[in-house]
Amino acid sequence: MTVLEKVSAALGRTSPLLEAPIPPAISEPLVRLVHSDIGLPELFAKRAEENKMHVTACNVEDLMGHLIGFLRETGCRKIALPISRLLDGLEVVKQLNHAGFEAKRWDQMTLDELYDYDCGVTDVTYAVAETGSLVIRASAKHGRSLSLVPPIHVAILEPKNFLPDLVDVFDRLAKDGGAGNINFITGPSKTSDIEMNLVVGVHGPCQVQLFILQ
Amino acid sequence: MTSTLEHQTIDPHTQDFLDEAKASKFDFHSISIKAAGDERLKTAINSAVMRQYTGRQLRLLELPDSEGLRTLAGDIKGHALDYLDYYLVQTKQAVERNGGQVHFARTGEEAKRIIFDIIDKANCKSCIKSKSMVSEEIELAHALEARGMDVVETDLGEFIVQIDHDKPSHLVSPIVHKDRASIGKSFAEYFGTPFTDDPEKLTKQARVYLRDKFRRADFGMTGGNFVVAETGQVCVVENEGNARQSITTPRVLVSLIGIEKLVPRLADLAVMLKLLARSATGQPFTVYTNLFGGPQQEGEKDGPEEFHLVFLDNGRTEILGSEYRETLRCIRCGACLNACPIYRKIGGHAYGSIYPGPIGALITPLFQGLGNFKDLPQASSLCGACYEACPVKINIPKHLINMRKDIVSQHLNHPMERVIYRMWAWALKSPFLYGAISAMQKFELRRRAKKTGWVKSVPFPGSGWTQIRDMPAPAAKTFHEMWRGK
Ligand code: SF4
Repeated sequence: MTVLEKVSAALGRTSPLLEAPIPPAISEPLVRLVHSDIGLPELFAKRAEENKMHVTACNVEDLMGHLIGFLRETGCRKIALPISRLLDGLEVVKQLNHAGFEAKRWDQMTLDELYDYDCGVTDVTYAVAETGSLVIRASAKHGRSLSLVPPIHVAILEPKNFLPDLVDVFDRLAKDGGAGNINFITGPSKTSDIEMNLVVGVHGPCQVQLFILQ
Repeated sequence: MTSTLEHQTIDPHTQDFLDEAKASKFDFHSISIKAAGDERLKTAINSAVMRQYTGRQLRLLELPDSEGLRTLAGDIKGHALDYLDYYLVQTKQAVERNGGQVHFARTGEEAKRIIFDIIDKANCKSCIKSKSMVSEEIELAHALEARGMDVVETDLGEFIVQIDHDKPSHLVSPIVHKDRASIGKSFAEYFGTPFTDDPEKLTKQARVYLRDKFRRADFGMTGGNFVVAETGQVCVVENEGNARQSITTPRVLVSLIGIEKLVPRLADLAVMLKLLARSATGQPFTVYTNLFGGPQQEGEKDGPEEFHLVFLDNGRTEILGSEYRETLRCIRCGACLNACPIYRKIGGHAYGSIYPGPIGALITPLFQGLGNFKDLPQASSLCGACYEACPVKINIPKHLINMRKDIVSQHLNHPMERVIYRMWAWALKSPFLYGAISAMQKFELRRRAKKTGWVKSVPFPGSGWTQIRDMPAPAAKTFHEMWRGK
């Protein structure tokens, strides 16, 4: 018997069920923790900081000043970016190169080269206020590794990114459709394996800096 | 450097347990008595799991109705099991639509053959593996190493388990039984570097070493916390980023997953994820929640070129068809271990299997035969703390009692026990015999307890009791006598 046949037999059927069963209804009041659309960036920022991400709120005009300041402070030199409407629109690559950094877009590098980069600067698909998580859907333009491989991750968030609750995120993801890779990022990589001591910076980025555009 | 470390010695502490566990028959009694007497082990485990346990309790208070949410989570997993044949087919179709391949393996051996085949066809040499209970279950890493593959466990705890040739002792925190000094010693020996027991430094050392492995590996291996039937996506949660590496950088990716891990819809993940991290480590959410379901899409330059989802049966369909179906809901959060007064005293190794604690006491006999592990269902005080902690409401105490009944009905209990109970039943049928025996018993026990009021030793088989605790002397008058004298 194949595994599928064994499963059907264990459930008392002679062949696999073909008609779609109806799963239990998900009652929103049980699951939802954030009920309002008001103040999402503030709630998000609070949760993100609890999860050891650094948050800076700024206007679009001040972004480059803040970003360049942060990259200099952390000693970053090589910066990797996705092809993105937001970042391209702000001419981030051009301005970073102008400021003396070596900034390249995802289409100008290989995955192996990315290991030598100091920082990935990305946009995000969604930001979840409930948990302080970034949600990034990878694509040909936005490499899966950009927010993973470089030791520092900087994310730029726009007002339209914010969603209240995980309930809303999965709802959106289901509507967006498509397969591909989706990552929820809630802080720098960490472990407490050794005697329950929290250590930040294991295999993913050691530092996550967020700029929230107002 | 390969990661096969034949020359390395095992942590001597664990060695004892392993030796005893290996000794042809699994003897829970002596291993657990030994473990319970080990103060170092007890303190290490207690302080670690108590933190997760209290963390969990506080985190659950954030939920509007944690009781209701746990019922819903249990219902969702229960539903997926009741219609598992439908959802498995749906998942297969979705994964194939995404460009991946689905395989079904009846046994561990079959799963290994499927995986070897994938490796040979794609000519892979070096494997980065993220933590997965199922691959421990079929001892996949060893099998891959034996075929000459360079296999490295990338979860920090599992990496330490690997370089120590140890075994994990907890579902979520594999090295709760180790202290930092012994970890420092292993690192110094393995890397040939000066000794340090600073967790920060040790972690950095592992980061540098494993980062190089990530960069070069051509084969990624993961398990999965959930598989979403409607989209064919696998969900893996973690804090370190190593699973994300395994699913992102190697050119071939295999996810080995038990058939019971399905949930019908993406929306179900909101329910499950809100409970999982809270129950496991007392975090509101894990650092990385990864969803993936196929190879690179058009134009992508990272992510696997090939994706294989291997579904493992290995005894699960038997459980599905039995009265123990509910145990397959388990999401391996470890909350029942942390809640269990027995686990906290004896640690994970004493259970003699990779699934320890209350849930292990149930599923190890189901997977590996009740005859081989008949002591495990007794390793519970039936206090119910595990049931109370379980995010999918598996009624562990009820099933443990049922399994004890199975032991009796299958005549797996000690012959002496059967004789005693038969005599007991016979004596209970006659008021005269009953009265005579209890009078004798009372006389003898009161004689033994004469000085202190406590019975300190009795002959076999009662000695099993008095070895570890004293018994108060019986009252001067039995209930019957008091009743009659009224
Ligand atoms: S039985 Fe319940 S509490 Fe125990 S590991 Fe499984 S899901 Fe968690």
